[in-house]
Amino acid sequence: MALEDYRDDCTDCSRCSYCKWIPLDHIKSARFARACPSIEYCNFQAYSLGGRLSVALSLLEGRIGYNDELKDIVWKCQMGGACDVSDKICRYNIRGLEVMREMRFKLVEDGQTLPQHKPYIDNLQKEKNMMMEPGVNRGKWADGLDVKNLAEEKAAVVFHAGCRYSYDEGLQKTARVAVMMLRDAGVDIGIMGENESCCGGRVYQWGYHKELNGFARKNARVWADAGVKTVVTPCAECYYTFKRLYPEIGFTFEVVHVVEYINRLIKEGKIKLTRSVPLTVTYHDPCHLGRLGEPYVPWQGSREKIYGQIPVWKPSKPRYSGAWGVYDPPRNVLKSIPGLALVEMERIREYAWCCGAGGGVLEAYPDFAAWTAAERLTEAKATGAEAIVSACPWCEGNFADTVKNQDEKIEVYDIIDLVQMAL
Amino acid sequence: MALSRDAYRALEDIVGPRYISEDPAVMDSYAYQWLAETVRPNQSKFMPRPEAALLPGSTKEVQAIVRTCNKYKIKVKAYSTGWYFYGAPFTEGVIQLDMRRMDRILEIDEKNMFAVIEPYAIAGVLQAEVMKRGLNCTVTGAGASCSILVGATCYHGSGGTSIYTGELRENLLGAEWVMPNGEILRTGSIGSRCGWFCAEGPGPSMRGIVRGALGARGGLGVYTKCAVKLSPWPGPAEFPVEGTVPAYRSPLPGNFRAYTLAFKDWDSLFEAYYRLYDNEICYYAHRQWTMLGADLGPAFWMLYQDPTKSLDDIEEFVQKREVKEVTEEMRISFQLVLVGMSQRDIEYQEKVLEWILKETGGWKVKKWLEPEMEQFSLLYLLRLGKKNLNFVYTGGWVGNFMQSGTPDFVKKYEPLAEDATEEYQEKGLLVDCGSDSMMGCVGSIGGGGQCGLEQFGFYDVADKISTAAAVEWMKHCIQEEARHNIPPGKEGMYLAVGKTHEELQQDLAKQPATHTWQRKIKQALDPNNLGDRLYPTLDER
Repeated sequence: MALEDYRDDCTDCSRCSYCKWIPLDHIKSARFARACPSIEYCNFQAYSLGGRLSVALSLLEGRIGYNDELKDIVWKCQMGGACDVSDKICRYNIRGLEVMREMRFKLVEDGQTLPQHKPYIDNLQKEKNMMMEPGVNRGKWADGLDVKNLAEEKAAVVFHAGCRYSYDEGLQKTARVAVMMLRDAGVDIGIMGENESCCGGRVYQWGYHKELNGFARKNARVWADAGVKTVVTPCAECYYTFKRLYPEIGFTFEVVHVVEYINRLIKEGKIKLTRSVPLTVTYHDPCHLGRLGEPYVPWQGSREKIYGQIPVWKPSKPRYSGAWGVYDPPRNVLKSIPGLALVEMERIREYAWCCGAGGGVLEAYPDFAAWTAAERLTEAKATGAEAIVSACPWCEGNFADTVKNQDEKIEVYDIIDLVQMAL
Repeated sequence: MALSRDAYRALEDIVGPRYISEDPAVMDSYAYQWLAETVRPNQSKFMPRPEAALLPGSTKEVQAIVRTCNKYKIKVKAYSTGWYFYGAPFTEGVIQLDMRRMDRILEIDEKNMFAVIEPYAIAGVLQAEVMKRGLNCTVTGAGASCSILVGATCYHGSGGTSIYTGELRENLLGAEWVMPNGEILRTGSIGSRCGWFCAEGPGPSMRGIVRGALGARGGLGVYTKCAVKLSPWPGPAEFPVEGTVPAYRSPLPGNFRAYTLAFKDWDSLFEAYYRLYDNEICYYAHRQWTMLGADLGPAFWMLYQDPTKSLDDIEEFVQKREVKEVTEEMRISFQLVLVGMSQRDIEYQEKVLEWILKETGGWKVKKWLEPEMEQFSLLYLLRLGKKNLNFVYTGGWVGNFMQSGTPDFVKKYEPLAEDATEEYQEKGLLVDCGSDSMMGCVGSIGGGGQCGLEQFGFYDVADKISTAAAVEWMKHCIQEEARHNIPPGKEGMYLAVGKTHEELQQDLAKQPATHTWQRKIKQALDPNNLGDRLYPTLDER
C-alpha cells in the first residue's frame, strides 16, 4: 500500500470533528470529553485526524511540499488511535490511522525524517533495542533467575520482556516477578535472554516499516527453533506488534499479554491471591493493549459499488473498531485482589486517553509526552484513586516520570506488582 | 496574497506565536471542507486557502484581531467546530479564526434555567454538564459535536427535541458580539447589566440582525459568548451507556419511552403531527431513521446493532426476511420519545399516544419495541452522538427541500421531493436507498406547529460523475419547487455559494427589499466590508 491508495479515505472525511472527542455518547463532563492529545496540545486543525487526512490529500495533490511544520503535523501524534475509534462510530470505512501511518512511511521513504528519532534508529539497527543501550546487556534483567534459556532449551511458551522491561532498572523487577509467577503456576516457560530482540513495532509506528520485517523474521525463527507455540509479553506495544503486525506479514503465534495469562491462571486456581492490598486504584487502558490490541484478521478483497454509489469492500472487510481489545482481563485481575478497590476514570476502554509515550512522541517531543501524561494523571486523581495502574511499561514509565514533577502525587503501579503483593 | 509582514506581526502580537500560523499545510486543513466539491472548480475538496489561521483565547483578543483586520483591510471569518463549508473562507485574502480555545461553559444557572457558553462549547458537552443539574439543552439536528452558540447565533438551531426544548434561535437569551468594526455589543438584558435572562432587553434586542431566521453564517462579526435557555430533564444525571462500540445504548428509567411510529399514508402521518402539537406530549419527535432511505435504512439500522458487521454487509441484511418486514412496516414513519415528569405523567402520555394512534390508524413498529432497540433509540435520539451516520454510505450528501411550515404545507412538497429524486437514484447517480430519504423535525419550534422534511441525496465524494449529479439534482429540485410555488430550502444556499457574484446578485434581486435592507445593515456595521457573502446583500445600484 502507498499513500496514494488512501486517497478516497482522505476525501471521505466530512470534517465533523468526531475524531477530537471521545465517542459523544460517552461524554460525562467538559473536563474529560476530549480524545486526541495532538489537537489538544497543538490546537491547529492540522493536528487532528481530520486535519491530517486533509494534509495527506493536499500532499497527494501537490498543493504542499515538505517543511518542518509538515513533519510536526505528521509526527506530533502518539498514534494511539482514539480518533480512529470515534471516527469509526459513524464512518466504518475511513482508515484514518492507516492514513497517518502511511504518511509517516512516505516521509521516511522520502528521507524526510525527524532528527530527534535518528539516534534511536541508529541504535536499534546496531544494538537491537529502543533504549539506547548495548545489546549485550539485554538479558541482564533475568540474571540469577531459575528459568529456561530458550537459546539452549525448549519450551511451549516464551516470555518476551521487551526493550523497556529489559533495560529500565525501575521495571526489571516487574519482569522478573512476572516470569517467575507464570513458572510457579506450572507454565512451561522460558526466555531468550541476550538473544531477545526488539519486536520492531515501536519504530514501525514511527514510520520505519522496513525494520519490522527483519525483527519479525528473526524473532519468529528463534521462537520456532525453541519449540515455542505461545508468546507472552508484559509489554502492550510488543503485544500489539506480535498480535496485529506480525500476522500481517506472515508470522503467526498465539500471542498473550501477561495480564491475560494471569487472569486465566487465577480462574484456573493456579494463582491464588490471598493477601489484602488495601488500595484504591484506577486502571489505565494502554492504547496498544486496548483499542489497538484487536487480533489481526486475514483479509483480501477489493472495492466495488452497490446501490448505485455506495463503495463497499468485497468480501466484507474485518472491522477494527476498538471493540475487541483487551479490557476485561486486567480489570478481572484487579477485582480478584483482596482489599483492593477499582474506580474507573471517565475515559476508559476503547476511548481511553493515551499516556503520551507512543508514536515516537516521547523521544521527539518529551514536553508533549509529559503534558499528555499529566492530563491522564489529573483524570486519575479526579477519581479519588491513590494509584494509577497499567499493563504497559511505556505508560508506567511516562506516568512515573511525569508525576515526579507534580505537587499532588499519585502512585504508579504495574498490575503485575499488585498481583505479587496479593500472593 | 500573503498578509503583509506588518499585519502578520500585529496579529501575532495579539494571540502570541503559538496561536497563529500561515503554514500551507495548516492552511489547507482549514480550507478542506465537506461540500466544497459541489461548488469549487474541478470539484476540489478545498475552499480558498486562508491567509492565516488564528486561535483567539478571549473576547479581548477577538476584538483586537477584528480591529487589526479593519486597520489592514483584511477579511476575517470565524468558525467554531468548523463543520460545513460555510465556516471556511469564500474568497482569497481571508484570515480564519478558529474559536476552539474559547470552549468554556461560563455559567449554568440552575434556578433560572440557562447556560452561558463560549463558541466551542459543543452540545454533547453542555448536555452532559446540565444533565447533572436536572436540565437539558437543544441539540441541533447536526448533532452533539456541534457548537450550541452557532445554532443560537449564526445558523439553524432546530433539533429533535425542539418541540419541547425549543429551537436555539428561540432559546437565545443574549449574546456578546464583536461587531465587524471591532466594537463589542452585548445584546438583550445583559446589555443593560441585568443578567442573561432575556434576549429582547432591557438592553438592545438585535435578534433580527444578529441572527434573523438563519443567521449570518460567519458573515457579520464574531459571537464570543451567549446565553441559551435550558429545559427540564427528569432523567439520570449521567446517561448510563451500555453495548459494544458502535451500537451504544442507554437503559433509561421507566419514565422514558422511545417509539418508531408508522402510518398507512402521509395524510395520517401529518395528522398525527397536528395531534401531537395539540396534546403536548412530545419530548423528542423527529423523522430520523428514514434519512438513510425508506428502502435501505432499516437494513442499515439492523446491521448497526451488530458490532461484527459493517456497511459491507448491507446487501446481506436487505435480504433478511425480518428486515424486509421491518422495512415495509416502517415505510412511512417517524420517531417519538415520551418523557414523563412522573410515573402518572408517563402513563397519561401513553394513553394520549394510544388515542392518537387509534384516531390516525398509526402503529408502533414492533422491532423498535425490543428492549435493546429502544435503548439504542433513546441514546441515539436524545444525545445525537452518532449523527454523522448520515455520511456512512458515501462520505457525501446534500439536502434538498427542508422548507419549514405547517404539516399541510410540508405534505404538499413531500411527493415532489420523492419524484425529483427517483430518477437520480434509478440511474445510479445517487445512492438508490429509496426515494423517501427524508429527515426532519416533527416540531421544529417550541410547542410544534411547524415541521420540515429534508430530502437526502447521497453522492460518492470520490466520484466526479456522482458529485456532478448531486449538484444537478439540487438545481432540478429548485426548478421543481419553483414550478409548484414552493420556495427553495437548504439547497438554495448551496448553490448561492457556488455562484459568481453577478449570478448571486441576480438571485437576490428577486427579493430586493430584504437584501437592500441587509446591505444597509452591513454598511453600517461593517464599513470596510470584511465579512463574507454569507450575509447576502444587493449591490447598491
